[in-house]
Amino acid sequence: MSNTQAIDANQLLAWLRGTAQGDATAFRALYDATSARLYGFVLRMLGQRELAEEALQEGFVAIWHHAGSYQSQLAAPMTWMTTIVRNKALDLLRRTGGGADTDASPFDGAVSEALQDPAATPIESLMMSRDAGALADCMAELAGSHRQVVGLAFFHDLSHSEVAHRLALPIGTVKTWIRRSLEKLKACLGEGERHESA
Amino acid sequence: MNLRNNPALCDKLAAEYVLGTLKGGARRRFERHLRDDAVVRRTTDAWQARLVPMAEFARAAAPAGQVWERIARRLNLPVRHAAWKFWRHGSLGFWRSLGTASTVAALVLATVLGTQRLSAPRLDYVSTLSDDKAQPVLVVTGDSRRQRLSVRLTGLERVADGKTLQLWAVPKQGKPRSLAVLAGRSEVELPLTERAVGADVAMLAVSLEPQGGSPDPDGPTGPILYKGVWVKL
Repeated sequence: MSNTQAIDANQLLAWLRGTAQGDATAFRALYDATSARLYGFVLRMLGQRELAEEALQEGFVAIWHHAGSYQSQLAAPMTWMTTIVRNKALDLLRRTGGGADTDASPFDGAVSEALQDPAATPIESLMMSRDAGALADCMAELAGSHRQVVGLAFFHDLSHSEVAHRLALPIGTVKTWIRRSLEKLKACLGEGERHESA
Repeated sequence: MNLRNNPALCDKLAAEYVLGTLKGGARRRFERHLRDDAVVRRTTDAWQARLVPMAEFARAAAPAGQVWERIARRLNLPVRHAAWKFWRHGSLGFWRSLGTASTVAALVLATVLGTQRLSAPRLDYVSTLSDDKAQPVLVVTGDSRRQRLSVRLTGLERVADGKTLQLWAVPKQGKPRSLAVLAGRSEVELPLTERAVGADVAMLAVSLEPQGGSPDPDGPTGPILYKGVWVKL
């Protein structure tokens, strides 16, 4: 029920199934449990309250309509919901051509801390879903500069050349760091993974 | 480009698609494959599962209340009572979560007992009411020996002019029962009655109401601000 507690995948799954059957109470519970996490994320992506609220709103309208097509074997509930809300935020980002001003500070404190040393923020990490905790552990094994490149691309929807520009790095370096980071993350996450790729 | 026969390329493109670095024409071509090819879709799903949880590294932020209202309006969902009937059927994990909450309440009681031993009251009911961020706001204790119910606010938010907080006993079945209109006081003592400690009462809740309390005798009309499990010890 609370935003400050760890997100329990089984609980979210139950609410998502309720939502698929048109249960408004389950849908509200789903919103209460996840909206602060999702809003925090799109706020970080978009940098403006109005845009972030629009992304969250459009995202939850889509979650209500598509809950029936959610397949638990393909994605954890939080991943599925985040992907929907993220896509709405990306639509807005591309339509408005804007986004957070990332030149001044690439990340806020929390993201940067989580990226730098996930184990150093145990309370924050307790609030993450299991998947996010596993990813944080694997990202901790990457070099700090590689983590920053991956995080910057993900949170701000940047191309290789935009990342290179922001960090004043050669584009070839950025491409290599991202490719190696993705390979390492895949290998690191591979062990406990439920959804093995083809 | 045939991605089906080149799994390594397919994997690389799926990863960069999910990360966001695949742009322009390459992105559009990949999206066509994504529509037409189940293998590409599966590879992309796997990358979503790996990378999308990064979203949770961002600091959580509470959206304005109007966001939910707009969603509910768009989808024609019942707005007014949705927040109030949170414990009803459908809210699956709710009753399951009571176990944890009782433990917290018992810990609070241990503290309350520890500080009140001298005056030796017999506190055998306790509830910690928390806000939607799980911050405790209100402690309610029942003393069956003195037949008193005491309500203490630990960190009260300002209530808007013309509004008041109202305390309710919420039974597992049937309608909530009003216990008190708190009217801006930080400590309230009430007689302990069956309304509050009937065997069917599972939790206490505080709603925001017009001055004088809810105009509806059968329950709150305003939003639920705080709630907590009502534990008998």
